[in-house]
Amino acid sequence: MSLFTGVEQAQLTMTQTENFPAFLMTLLQQQADEKSIAWLNQKVEKFKESGSKTGFFLAFSQASRHFSKDLLQISEQKAQEAEKLSKGFEPSFWNVLQTARTYLLLHYPQQKQVWFDAINQLFETADMHEHQALFAALPIMPFQDDLLPRAIDGCRTNVALIFDAIALNNPYPSTYFPEANWNQMVLKAVFMQRPLYRIQNQDSRRNPALAEIASDFAHERWAAGRNVMPELWRLVSPFLNDEFFKDLKKVMSSEDELEKKGGALALYQSDFPPAKGLLADFPNLIHGIESKSITWESIGQEYQQTRL
Amino acid sequence: MSMYIDPHIHLVSRTTDDYEAMQKAGIVATIEPAFWLGQPRTEVGSFKDYFSTLVGWERFRASQFGIVHYCTMGLNSKEANNIPLAEQVMELLPLYVGKEGVVAIGEIGYDDQTEAEDRFYREQLELAKEVDLPVLIHTPHRDKKKGTYRSMDVAEEHGMDPGWVIVDHNNEETVKEVLDRGYWAGFTIYPHTKMGSERMVEIVKQYGPERIIVNSAADWGISDPLAVPKTADLMRKMGIPEEHVQMVTYKNALAAFSLSGQMDEKDWLNAPPIDQTKKMGGNSVLRGGQVPRVEGPSDRVEN
Repeated sequence: MSLFTGVEQAQLTMTQTENFPAFLMTLLQQQADEKSIAWLNQKVEKFKESGSKTGFFLAFSQASRHFSKDLLQISEQKAQEAEKLSKGFEPSFWNVLQTARTYLLLHYPQQKQVWFDAINQLFETADMHEHQALFAALPIMPFQDDLLPRAIDGCRTNVALIFDAIALNNPYPSTYFPEANWNQMVLKAVFMQRPLYRIQNQDSRRNPALAEIASDFAHERWAAGRNVMPELWRLVSPFLNDEFFKDLKKVMSSEDELEKKGGALALYQSDFPPAKGLLADFPNLIHGIESKSITWESIGQEYQQTRL
Repeated sequence: MSMYIDPHIHLVSRTTDDYEAMQKAGIVATIEPAFWLGQPRTEVGSFKDYFSTLVGWERFRASQFGIVHYCTMGLNSKEANNIPLAEQVMELLPLYVGKEGVVAIGEIGYDDQTEAEDRFYREQLELAKEVDLPVLIHTPHRDKKKGTYRSMDVAEEHGMDPGWVIVDHNNEETVKEVLDRGYWAGFTIYPHTKMGSERMVEIVKQYGPERIIVNSAADWGISDPLAVPKTADLMRKMGIPEEHVQMVTYKNALAAFSLSGQMDEKDWLNAPPIDQTKKMGGNSVLRGGQVPRVEGPSDRVEN
């Protein structure tokens, strides 16, 4: 099923599944009280021993009674440890509750049929925060190839919390999504005005079809008298041609400084010869880019903070 | 501005206009009991998706209008009569009863008072005890008095604490027995049928505000999602003390359903301000050209 990913997939399957639950437990211990941890361990023991699917389901949903939705507080050292255990795992975007739920998941018996029998039911009956936990945990679940249809289907949600769990800070889509699905996900992120810079490995997945889609989207927005999120031009930059160059010219004539930052960075990173010429009129922006004060991340953050 | 809870309303059947009107009228929280859809379902998957809607999309939709949405889970009495299907629904319920914001098992009880209804009512009382949830009882519209008494008899037979049971759809004929036996007594205000607001005023005057809970049970039929605030206004006009009005339209519902541990005043008092920009997807409740409503905390109080 996985089409792209010799390297990335090899790295993913190297997720150290044995150490992983133990790592999650260290994170939980930092932020949950002893009683909650004891509850969690007791539930794990119980469903492992009895093989009870119902026990597992109840524990998975009732975890909300014991764990908060506070974000995990992750030190630099913990972040590195996380990356080492599972490439692309960014626990600083996870909350305590989903960490506990993932801990439960990883203790469920991992024989394929047994696993899917339970996991499918969980996906199909999940509430918002359960969906969040399940989709964010895709890259550390077993049998990842088989979860692709589930992940693609999940992107059809209208709930940003769930969409974000798949699309943002998650290595799964860039590793497994075929191009069409990848493009649909990124376009939907644009449409929902999600912070694109949080989509992992996006530069390596840029493609001409997506650049076309992005440009078309910008034209639609302009036709409706609306602005275009500046991060969009990141998708167009490597494929700059005469047509897209017209778009960038329009962006650079905007009165909105943030839109121009996005346009300038796209021009700066492009090999299209006329790009440098257009950019030369904006020495301040060139300086910002070269001094790293203008990055896709800073543009995305400023957009999220000031325009939504 | 007074705060209200509508502890029985089928929001999947209501429009966004209703949500806006409810929020303006002071409704801060709602409870949506799992019920039937006006016609019987034929597949267990229809139940599954319905239950998922109650804890998923409908809750999210309500939040867009500044209303906190809770629900109850259960197999209703009408559909309990399709035994093979009912058995499958019973297998499904454990997946849902432990979820966040599920504040009771309900609405369960009797419709025609058949054997099948009795069987699944009893099984669900046991489920409620197992997962420490209150029970919301739907009392039958026909042969009401006998059905109501029987509901309580059977609940007691299964060792239910009456303080954990809300007996709903009461009227003048049933209220005394329900209150005397220590249950919460729900009253549904329906325009034209069942209880009207005027009758409700008389009941509160006669029985006082203890353990009485007013709801709209608004659904796909002729019903009024503003029944709770409207009844509260009428009570005030008719001289019922403010404290009593608040008990029957807010505090009692909160006290009864917060036994679940799944409902807390903080959920709406500390709610983030409505921000429709943050959460909206493509095919969402906001269509193209509409301006998202963004309000600060002060708007909530003054609104």
